[in-house]
Amino acid sequence: MAYYIGRRLLLMIPTLIVISFIIFVIIQLPPGDYLESYVAELESQGESVDPGQIAALRSQYGLDEPFLVQYLTWSTGMLHGDFGYSFEYGLPVTEVVGDRLFLTVIISLCTILFTWLIAFPIGMYSATHQYSWGDYGLTLLGFLGLATPNFLLALVMLYFANVTFGISIGGLMDPQYLDADWSWDKLMSVLQHLWIPVIVIGTSGTAAMIRRLRANLLDELHKPYVVTGRAKGVPPFRLLVKYPLRVSLNFFIADIGSMLPSIISGAEIVAVVLSLPTTGPILIAALQSQDMYLAGSFLMFLALLTVIGVLVSDIALALLDPRIRLEGVRTS
Amino acid sequence: MKGTILALLLMACAADAAAVPALQEELQETPLLSQQVATGELAPIARRLPDPPYVDTLSTTQADTEQGQQGGSIRLLMGKAKDVRQLVVYGYARLIGFNDRMELEADILEAFEVEGNRRFTFHLRPGHRWSDGVPFTSEDFRYFWEDVALNTELSPFGPPVALVVDGRLPTVEILDRYTVRYTWQNPNPEFLLALAGPSPLYIYRPAHYLKQFHVRYADPDQLAQRVEEAKIKKKQWTGLHQRQDHQYKFDNPDLPTLQPWIPVTPPPSEHFVFRRNPYYHRIDSAGRQLPYLDEIVIDIASGKLIPAKTGAGESDLQGRYLEMSNYTFLREGAKRGNFDVRLWSSSRGARVALYPNLNANDETWQRLLRDVRFRRALSLATNRHEINQVIYFGLALEGANTLIPASPLYRPEYRDAWARFDPEQANRLLDEIGLQQRDARGIRLLPDGRPAEIIVQSAGESTEETDVLELIHDSWMEVGIKIYVKPTEREIFRNRIFAGDALMSVWFGLENGLATADMTPAELAPTSQQQLQWSEWGKHYETGQGMPPDLPEAQRLLALYRQWRHADQIEERRRIWHEMLQIHADQVYSIGTVTEVKQPIVVNRHLHNVPESALWNWEPNAFFGRFRPDRFWLDPARSNSVAGGQ
Amino acid sequence: MKVNPVSEHFVSDKPFDPNSIEQIDPEQERLYLASQWRLMWWVFKRHRLALFCGVLILLMYLSILIAEYLAPYALKTRHTDYIYSPPQPVHLFHEGEFIGPFVYGWGYELDMDKLLRNYSEQRDRVYPLSFFCHGDPYEFWGIRQADLHLVCAPEGGVLFMLGTDRLGRDMLSRIIYGARISLTIGLLGIIVSFLLGITLGGFAGYYGGWVDSTVQRITEVIRSFPELPLWMALSAILPVTWSPLWVFFGITLILALLDWTGLARAVRSKLLALREEDYCMAAELMGARPTRIIGRHLLPGILSHLIASATLSIPAMILGETALSFLGLGLRPPITSWGVLLNEAQNINVVAIYPWLMLPVIPVIVVILAFNFFGDGLRDAADPYKH
Repeated sequence: MAYYIGRRLLLMIPTLIVISFIIFVIIQLPPGDYLESYVAELESQGESVDPGQIAALRSQYGLDEPFLVQYLTWSTGMLHGDFGYSFEYGLPVTEVVGDRLFLTVIISLCTILFTWLIAFPIGMYSATHQYSWGDYGLTLLGFLGLATPNFLLALVMLYFANVTFGISIGGLMDPQYLDADWSWDKLMSVLQHLWIPVIVIGTSGTAAMIRRLRANLLDELHKPYVVTGRAKGVPPFRLLVKYPLRVSLNFFIADIGSMLPSIISGAEIVAVVLSLPTTGPILIAALQSQDMYLAGSFLMFLALLTVIGVLVSDIALALLDPRIRLEGVRTS
Repeated sequence: MKGTILALLLMACAADAAAVPALQEELQETPLLSQQVATGELAPIARRLPDPPYVDTLSTTQADTEQGQQGGSIRLLMGKAKDVRQLVVYGYARLIGFNDRMELEADILEAFEVEGNRRFTFHLRPGHRWSDGVPFTSEDFRYFWEDVALNTELSPFGPPVALVVDGRLPTVEILDRYTVRYTWQNPNPEFLLALAGPSPLYIYRPAHYLKQFHVRYADPDQLAQRVEEAKIKKKQWTGLHQRQDHQYKFDNPDLPTLQPWIPVTPPPSEHFVFRRNPYYHRIDSAGRQLPYLDEIVIDIASGKLIPAKTGAGESDLQGRYLEMSNYTFLREGAKRGNFDVRLWSSSRGARVALYPNLNANDETWQRLLRDVRFRRALSLATNRHEINQVIYFGLALEGANTLIPASPLYRPEYRDAWARFDPEQANRLLDEIGLQQRDARGIRLLPDGRPAEIIVQSAGESTEETDVLELIHDSWMEVGIKIYVKPTEREIFRNRIFAGDALMSVWFGLENGLATADMTPAELAPTSQQQLQWSEWGKHYETGQGMPPDLPEAQRLLALYRQWRHADQIEERRRIWHEMLQIHADQVYSIGTVTEVKQPIVVNRHLHNVPESALWNWEPNAFFGRFRPDRFWLDPARSNSVAGGQ
Repeated sequence: MKVNPVSEHFVSDKPFDPNSIEQIDPEQERLYLASQWRLMWWVFKRHRLALFCGVLILLMYLSILIAEYLAPYALKTRHTDYIYSPPQPVHLFHEGEFIGPFVYGWGYELDMDKLLRNYSEQRDRVYPLSFFCHGDPYEFWGIRQADLHLVCAPEGGVLFMLGTDRLGRDMLSRIIYGARISLTIGLLGIIVSFLLGITLGGFAGYYGGWVDSTVQRITEVIRSFPELPLWMALSAILPVTWSPLWVFFGITLILALLDWTGLARAVRSKLLALREEDYCMAAELMGARPTRIIGRHLLPGILSHLIASATLSIPAMILGETALSFLGLGLRPPITSWGVLLNEAQNINVVAIYPWLMLPVIPVIVVILAFNFFGDGLRDAADPYKH
């Protein structure tokens, strides 16, 4: 086991190097660089640009250096904690991102809780009452969230929340609390704004969870030990929960690892629509304007979390489920 | 009317709006600051103002402006954190600025003299202080010129382009503590315009603040430590200085400024607060220090959501990010949100204009696009009336891409040139050129057999543009020309035009449709690579690379522009402008559609002195700037909606 | 009776009919002799919702073929006089009398104060709908000229059952034409994804060892990226000069390239288990090549699972297309797809004042739900021997 973990950790290193290179390539792929998109943006607002100033900025930002040099500067910088400088914000990347991480994590955790709260009962009911109208109805409800395009749902909910409840549009709290200290009012404001993103993001995740829970439960429920239990008179609910449910939950535990990156980056599109102060919109804006250090470092961070997450998931799964063969070479 | 007044001013001495010298007894202390004055933290008002201050007498001379009261806070919405620089634009504190009569007038300066557009003498206001209380003197000008502009490390490409005339630098003389003089060998007619611009040319710096970052003045160890802490690339002091020296960016609370409001919130943030500048140099005629508003708050939200938020009443003064298509929605929310929706007009030459690329690489197409009959035919085949009705409710002004009626240089024949909808004449012109043959779909064939299909490059930003192009596509099909619209990212859009790969592009029309004879006609001549119809020629003018214009009319335009720069008399400048406008009207270098498209402006019901209707543009109005937001005031007791109106 | 000289057992040499011991009736015979696929079908039929959805999907794909015929108007037709029209009510009874489906006259008043068009019916004019009629001309599949429509607007009247957009284009027609692009992207994308996933996952699962490791690393690398940046980057490199059709294929390819990893993982894990089975070893001993073993023996066993997985990925593709359109990548006007339509509806004006422009969301929801239930039914039925 230790051998396995050790090997995986070692394998992570080349993987991450490859990933970092690919990330950098991807960010540089669209033609032009940050300054060009900056100039283009100024032009479209009618502001004029001094070519000399742009040239000076270019050399100051190091955008005129060859590709490999830029890559090496960035990647070696990351190794000792220097994630680079964001052109758009004029601040180090860590300051731009770190500010928003807290709220992002909160939203993500609430969303996950919400998803579980909805998916569990529906999944369990669906498995035990297969093909009934209740099954159909509830699964329909659960899948509705998946089927509706998030961005449209978000906008509609935003509008109606404002018209009906008077909640200010977008954001995670009323603007005056943004930089203020935490207080009861601020908390209330956050809760008022929180439910829309949680519902919009959460409902799209419920479908997947319902489906997997249902499938796993169905697998278990047809096993002989369940029949035995029923024959012996164990009450149905207890029978459901005590063994099959626990076995089916294996994958939840294993999934936690792979949920790490999405907790940090949190549903970018919905965040953009709802104008949430989370990390998702920053990432999208950085990619669009080719703010390469911000985009690159953040993506690298997410990639690292994913790789770690996959490792954690695999280990957890192996520990929980001895049926899975870890490594296999053909025995012949 | 406007032209002559402007002429007088530029030739004569300082415009003196401060006709009434401020009397000490008449000055009133600002309520917000009175406590700080009482404890001694701030000097009393008499010592905070320069002598003489700028006295804003507009409220006594103009009917719809009134004297206000100090106090209050308003909210604005912006789409990106960078947009806080709009407060420099709106604040509009300039050395010399445009006043309500579109004349250049001394603002921060007390007075200025211009001799032959070559020698400019500026007089500062004695006692004028930066926002941190340090005096504003000619030292700030000297620091900029000698230690920033001429410093080869800080400015490797030399001083700003607007200060260089025909390759020569000015002679800068610091005459005394409050007087500076700039002298050039050749005229520099754009100098004052650059100083008055929305994104102004800064010829001064807060020297006392920046000296701590300059290698010549700072303690070497301290400087090195600061550079280290700020994690500057390559550990160069110039990087740190440049990072701190950003008066236009307006995101550094420590940087002293002369604007009416000072940033208080350090980035990053979504909620930026700006407080009144206690040392602002303007007062109203009752002796109250401007600005009236104590505080401006800028909230950052996603650009697409701003119309929704404005409609919900979350903004007190909004124009940016609002479009004509939002008007109905805003009106529906106006009562609940306690605001008015006013309709200003935009002043671009055209809202949507097509630019045939005269420098296209494809030979056949280049010949065709350079044939003026082809361009005229395309313009005649454009149904501007339909565009106006379908997309702009008939409220826009149809015509070619040229000046708007409010400009003193406007003539109706410029706007009507080749701009009526006449498919028969268009067909005739195209037949005349030799494109008589058509294919099965009715599209004309080029001499080499290819169908006349033009790919129009678009920056793909607005659905409005797509809609206009859809209508143009249909009307051009009637004369046998088919267009494909290719939306691309902005950088690709420009690169393809620069490289000559794009046959035609679509963009806004003339940036400054409200030009006067003293404003630069650079847009009309091939002077910049950014011009979409002749970027190759423009690049030649800027950098000397590439090809100079080889069409006689374009060469004439360039020659006229050079003449304008050296012209001394206003009549000569006016004559040059008209000749250039006439060439454009004849040659149809761009195909305009409509102009004076309405711009919704949302104003809180209790905010006064915001014009009822005006022109919304970058230059020269600086959006709200020229209308003096420092004069806007809040009156919670009184609402200013007109009964029965909005 | 023969007596076995070695042992004392008897083997009766009376004629013996095996079927006399146990009789199976025709029904049971059908069951035992049924192929895997038929069993699947029987189980699938039990899931009535899945069946219904399957039929629905089939109908939708069929409708793509005759989109031009079904739509009341041609794709590019616009009506300058009917901009932002709300859905027009279709009536059956006029003043108490049954006439058949018809519409009243339709016009608007321009409210210049708010710049709003107020549409209303003109009850004095009755326009019965015509069916199988000649309406806007179109090019059937881009080849043949025709102008036959299922239903079209009556002479002198207009028919906007789902309203019009800002250029006066009929929404119903746009939605029908949009289905063509959106549904096809899903299908094509899944085919590409399928092929990639099976090939790579198959080799990884069968060979194990370094092949497995490499493929795993590749999938890991691809899965480590948040989808969005990868989409954005790949869309940005689509050449500008490509025609809309090629852009469309490019987008499909991009969506597929990021999707195959899930399938590959599933194939790999199942193959890892299955290849230890005896029949696999037997095939090997008989000299079959690996591709034959994978393709002929192993895959059919898991094909049902794969098809179920694949079907469940189609909704992700359709949503991916809408998401890309939202970001301004992917398909843009003048191409019409549901994603483009939804993107145009993505602003506050639409939500507050012109809500019928959001109607394309309904076919999106229906299709995605249909695929999901269909896939669920398939997957439940996938392993018929389990039941």
